Amino acid sequence: MENTQENLSSLYGKTLMLDKLFSYCPGCGHGIVTRLVAETIEAMGIREKTVAVVGIGCGGFSHHYMDIDAIEAMHGRSPSVATGFKLASPDNFVFTYQGDGDMGAIGLADVLHAANKGVPITCLMINNTVFGMTGGQMSPTSLPGQITATTQKGRDTHLHGYPILIPEMMRSMPGVKYLARETVADAPAIRRAAKSLRKAFECQEKNLGFAFIEFIVPCPTGLKKGVKESYVWCKDQMLNYFKPTIFKDETE
Amino acid sequence: MPEETLFLKNTETFAESMVRCGVRFHFAYPITPASDVMKHSAVILPAFGGRMVQMESELAVANALAGCACTGRLGATSTSGPGMSLMQETISFMAGAELPCLMLDSMRVGPGDGDIIGAQSNYFQATRGGGHGDYRVIVLALDSGQSAVDLMPTAIKLAYTYRTPVLFVMDGVTAQMTETSTFPEPHDYASEFDTSGWRYTGTKDHPKRFLLTGSYTHSQGYELNERLRAKYEIIKEKEQRWEAWGLEDAELLIVAFGIQGRMVRELAARMREEKKKVGYIVPITLWPYPDKAFEKLPKELKRVLVVEMNHGQMLDDVRLAVNGRAPTSFLGKTGGDTPLCTLAEIKAEAERLLEA
Repeated sequence: MENTQENLSSLYGKTLMLDKLFSYCPGCGHGIVTRLVAETIEAMGIREKTVAVVGIGCGGFSHHYMDIDAIEAMHGRSPSVATGFKLASPDNFVFTYQGDGDMGAIGLADVLHAANKGVPITCLMINNTVFGMTGGQMSPTSLPGQITATTQKGRDTHLHGYPILIPEMMRSMPGVKYLARETVADAPAIRRAAKSLRKAFECQEKNLGFAFIEFIVPCPTGLKKGVKESYVWCKDQMLNYFKPTIFKDETE
Repeated sequence: MPEETLFLKNTETFAESMVRCGVRFHFAYPITPASDVMKHSAVILPAFGGRMVQMESELAVANALAGCACTGRLGATSTSGPGMSLMQETISFMAGAELPCLMLDSMRVGPGDGDIIGAQSNYFQATRGGGHGDYRVIVLALDSGQSAVDLMPTAIKLAYTYRTPVLFVMDGVTAQMTETSTFPEPHDYASEFDTSGWRYTGTKDHPKRFLLTGSYTHSQGYELNERLRAKYEIIKEKEQRWEAWGLEDAELLIVAFGIQGRMVRELAARMREEKKKVGYIVPITLWPYPDKAFEKLPKELKRVLVVEMNHGQMLDDVRLAVNGRAPTSFLGKTGGDTPLCTLAEIKAEAERLLEA
């Protein structure tokens, strides 16, 4: 069978727009997470009422590959935009898709307050430990010693502090009903991430409260590594600091 | 609920008016002298099926307001000086995204934290835009609680017709005054506008829509700006509002808005009784600036006096509108225990200019 778009659509459904050319770099972890999100929406049959609020950065491209309405918010503000949206239109499924720069740096207050309020939205942070789009600068999640465009001798924790652990900050918030850190570093991890995503969206279906997943993914371009090497580095280095964990599951 | 007359602080009148006209979501953060708007809306909105949402900062306020607007529903915010400054990025975003909303700047003294006492020092910020880019928002000047009641339906109509933020500015002195206002029967104007052609509430009834205020190609950025320019030209042509009086033979034309405009209306009438030929223009829209009010200036005109609670901001627009046809003078101050020009001060300056 030829891999025509129609054939692929019968396999993957309508949400994932297979006719779009990816603007993600080869090997980018975003591609995997974006597909997982599309598959979750498709599996739940919520495509027509799902709205993405995406951040600024490579994560902002994510909605181009999904046949859903989308809002490109100002840098870091997706959770606040999603909060206002969900309040005015509670029947919509609203999720944010942001990078570690968008959410962990400029938008930290927005996401923490949305979490603390227990706003019934789903927030996703795709953490690749660098500002990818702007050329691999240090982000709040860059690892100690990590060489980036703005830390050419490695991240110095005396100067820049330690990588920020956002799910750990949300653990004590009762309004957070599903809280996990996942990764796409290998196939079993991707399957676990898919299960987590389903839970995070179901949280919204049941109107329980806030749901959050951090995805640890490689950025071969920003990390200045080959694709395979970047996945090895993701598994060995990133996961050593950002440990995949389901911190909280109150969806049952 | 029939027509009723209430004795309220003008900030409360603003809240009462926006809710009675269809605002169901009010996003705000406490700041003097605007806090009473949120205090009042928090009490009255639940009965209308709405909510006052207290956010953690004005950044979050403005962005939640933008999110609300993406659903096609009408949201509002109220703030003052520093809060308004924090919202500027998102106001630029909403102007670019063509999202309707209502905002109130209960203006206080700047710069920086300035002072909590009333002022008109945000004129530049309101009319030029403190955010980035070639954008404008419609700016309506209030001089009383009643003016908020009277202009609210117009503001909602403007916001939806042109899909733009509409900003009310009310100097903090007016905001803190308590006076009577008569409210017509409540009417949900916001629901009268069809938003199905643009709102972002899912692909059930339309192909994928996405809100993009940036661009992926240079031509997209150009097209966005050309579309906005065309819209702003229409607004400038059709939506100028002002009050003018005594222009047929005035030797002195006084231009003022907000509470100073309210005072000038009274002063001009008094000076006319003294056979002094004084007229006034009181702008209602600060953007678009009512240039048309200045088209036919009286032959007798000797001078234009601009009075503001700042160091001369609207003065620039008056000079542009007068375009050298008469000399302009300025009287204004900002801050202090009496943060405006008193009637006596304006009268003395007017007489001095008439005699010069």
